[in-house]
Amino acid sequence: MARRPFASAVIALACVAVTLLGCRKHKNNSPTASSSTGGAQTATGFARNETLYVGGRQWGEPSSFNPLAGWQDWPVNDMNLIYETLLMYDPLGGKLVPLLAQSYEVKDDSIEVVMNAAAKWNDGQPVTADDVKYTFDLGKEFKSLLMSPLFTSHYVSDVKITEPGHVVFTLDPSQKNALPVLDACVEIRIVPKHVIEPMLKAANGNIDDFLKQKFDKDPVGSGPYKLNSYSSEKIVTVRDDNYWGNKVFFEGKLPAPKYVTHPIYKSNDHFSIGLQQGNIDVSSSFVPRIQEKKAVKAWYDKEPYFVPTAIPMLWPQVLHKPLDDAHLRRAMAFSINYKDIRDLAVSGYSDPMESGLILPFGLEKKFFSAEDSKEFGATRYDVEAAKAELKAGGYTSVFKDGELVETRDKAGKKLETLFIKSPTGWTDWESIVRIVVKGMRAAGIDARERFIDANLFWGDLYSGNFDLIMFTPTPPPAPSKPWSRFDVVLSSSEWAPQGEKRYKNMGRFNNPKGPGYIARIDELLSQIPRIKDDAELIKAYRELNVLYMKNQPTIPLVYRPNQFYEFTEQHWKGFPTAANPYLPPQMPGERLGTRILWHLTPVGGS
Amino acid sequence: MLRKNPTLRHILGRAAWYFVTFLVAVTVNFFLPRLGDANPIDAILAKTNAGDSAGAREKEEAYLRQFGLAEVDAQGKVIRTADGKPVRTGLGKQFVSYLGLTLQGDLGTSFLQFPKPVSEIIKDALPWTLCLQLPTIIFGWLVGNLLGALAAYKRGVFDRIIYPLALLVSAVPAFCVGILMVYYFGIKLEWFPAVGGYDAGTTPALSSDFLSSAAYYYVMPFLSIFMIVVGGQSIGMRSMVIYELGTDYVKYAKLLGIKENKILLYTFRNAMLPQLTGLALALGAMVGGALITEIIFSYPGLGMAILTAIQGNDYPVITGCTLLITVCVLVANFSVDILVGLLDPRIRAAQAAESN
Repeated sequence: MARRPFASAVIALACVAVTLLGCRKHKNNSPTASSSTGGAQTATGFARNETLYVGGRQWGEPSSFNPLAGWQDWPVNDMNLIYETLLMYDPLGGKLVPLLAQSYEVKDDSIEVVMNAAAKWNDGQPVTADDVKYTFDLGKEFKSLLMSPLFTSHYVSDVKITEPGHVVFTLDPSQKNALPVLDACVEIRIVPKHVIEPMLKAANGNIDDFLKQKFDKDPVGSGPYKLNSYSSEKIVTVRDDNYWGNKVFFEGKLPAPKYVTHPIYKSNDHFSIGLQQGNIDVSSSFVPRIQEKKAVKAWYDKEPYFVPTAIPMLWPQVLHKPLDDAHLRRAMAFSINYKDIRDLAVSGYSDPMESGLILPFGLEKKFFSAEDSKEFGATRYDVEAAKAELKAGGYTSVFKDGELVETRDKAGKKLETLFIKSPTGWTDWESIVRIVVKGMRAAGIDARERFIDANLFWGDLYSGNFDLIMFTPTPPPAPSKPWSRFDVVLSSSEWAPQGEKRYKNMGRFNNPKGPGYIARIDELLSQIPRIKDDAELIKAYRELNVLYMKNQPTIPLVYRPNQFYEFTEQHWKGFPTAANPYLPPQMPGERLGTRILWHLTPVGGS
Repeated sequence: MLRKNPTLRHILGRAAWYFVTFLVAVTVNFFLPRLGDANPIDAILAKTNAGDSAGAREKEEAYLRQFGLAEVDAQGKVIRTADGKPVRTGLGKQFVSYLGLTLQGDLGTSFLQFPKPVSEIIKDALPWTLCLQLPTIIFGWLVGNLLGALAAYKRGVFDRIIYPLALLVSAVPAFCVGILMVYYFGIKLEWFPAVGGYDAGTTPALSSDFLSSAAYYYVMPFLSIFMIVVGGQSIGMRSMVIYELGTDYVKYAKLLGIKENKILLYTFRNAMLPQLTGLALALGAMVGGALITEIIFSYPGLGMAILTAIQGNDYPVITGCTLLITVCVLVANFSVDILVGLLDPRIRAAQAAESN
């Protein structure tokens, strides 16, 4: 019985198999056809012992490899794989390491950079001082490019070539601040003038049209790798065996992996699984509870596992009463359980908190004063101190059955609930905000969390539309630290009222035209970059940090790394660690971490 | 002519209704994502290094011009209100230009993946979605119906084991099955790869290496949807066959002494009709992507594209994808309407009566 249905099932099965195969074929065709970069070097199979798989820097389909676009994909953004910077910053030693530039000199009113004469583009042309001047001058003409703040914020007045191979950045006499220029030397990737200029001309000088160019077909770069192919599943770069730096920096040695490939996954979990299974060798994604993940290693083999370089913080809107009151802001800082944040929200990936904007470890440690932190700081969990600050500000809190009902000001008026904004779905920040709210309410401050759409978040942040908001200022390690962190948090330059966008001091603290303006803060911000003497510099930083602590214009919550750094040695070994810190914890290909590629060795043959 | 041909008249009537539905859907698809407060440009700027205020302002203007989101004056400068906010182009005006371009087949450019055209995003994601869904739906439908019919007809062991099992499986959400499979077979036992569509060391090509790798990676995503489709289909089919077995024509056929095989065929054909409708609808809705499965296995299909677009307020991609889904669902519905009429004489008769 029922033979026929079975027979038809078998036929159907065969049909499905055919459909499946046909469908697969179709799939094969489309990514290859649409995305291979063409040329003889396009490879189709990648041996495991020749390929390094990196993760965590690309979450969606690549859209542009244009080195001038504001938004680039791996391997352009933050990377020195295809395009290169003049210098690289070593966040462990605090030194600038030569790349396209062989040396640099900071003078009183200028920075002189000497190019490495051996540097070449991959089409054989030399990388010249002219390319550097051209790259930076683009920022003068087009305000939307990454280098334009150098000119619009009046750090650099011009870029000139004084003799062959020598580029001089003239510091704007109004500030004479070399720090942002040094930051630019490690952040701005130099582009080939002989390629870009004709393209820009073809676009009639229209930068919008030019930026539509994807630079995905054999782009001319100076770096050790070339773009091989890309699709919605992965981006593949292939080693350029003629890279000029092999001879200059590595005595002719080639980087070990022939291919550096970034598979595109959609979530942290997938990169974590990839690491555990050995399908990803090194990643900068967030891996929770790393100690429980077999075979996955980080910089340190115990807490905090990573090297923190940034401070996520709460930004109160100082223009909103009662947040203009330093007593309230300090009470908030005292009310937060920082240990809970560290242990529960960020998997222990942080050092214990100290007060102020200076990191109490690493390179910034010399500017940090534990004494000041103790005397003036409010970044420690101390409910009594919080209540004392509230009392000093004349606030009273009404509790009922142990739950906060409302907070009242001096005049006995009920305060509106203060909302802490954070993007919805950023789970680590959400946990942090919940712990903050719990602490504040227990201390008697009527605050609540408000998680908002990530797209609304950025608009609200920059236009100052918030009571309190989560944000991490200037996360990457840079030569300008910790000055640039103070600058973003405290600077009153280029003041814009609430409602207009402002990319520094979004809480609008210390308005030069407002009441109680502290001129000393702006003075110190402008003096510090020019101080040469170390003792004097330490003094200035201490003074600025104390002013910050007394006023508490923002509320630091935890220390975090700029990028996470996890690796597994199932297929490649030789990654730097705290025990073997020959290079900083950066992704191979990212900034100075690019040099890791020359130190790796494949595990076993194949 | 129409008077003489009720079927054609019926088809044209349905077509007119579907067209109206289509227009309403297109309008809603356009306006819904744009009703919120969010400004997509803020999201784009946030991802780039905004620089100082002047640079960021120029960048914002460039994007606003590019996407036609703000009013521009004769010199091509973005017009701003007294407090410095750009004057947004009215939604009505945007809608008219959207309709115009869509009719010319231009779905626009993505905000998030600028300068990639929406049509290309769909083109890249669609094969993944089709590969993931088409075989699972068709194969699952066939197997499910077969098992359902067997359970109903054979009763006994089949019914006592398959039916409760199917009930259980179809009640488990797809993401649960997917996550459990990834955890046990992917991570714990390492029988199958946990994420992705094929081994990263291969490139899509017609090579045995690639095909075997793709098939290996396909097992878990396939099974996670397949089991659920089978469960759902077999339950439906089982009750349909049981119903058919109790009808008068089956009793009559048995009385006449017709062979059991033949009777089974009759009941199968009748029970099939509603299942066919279900299949057509499933195929229509298929292009929406199996979002959850795509997320769990990191398949870059349409569901993923839509999710990313919605999270980033990428209006052109949202409207482009919803337009595609709308068209496919409507076409599938329409075909079912027509096909069922053609296949089932009873419905044809009803349509004719309705038309007169």
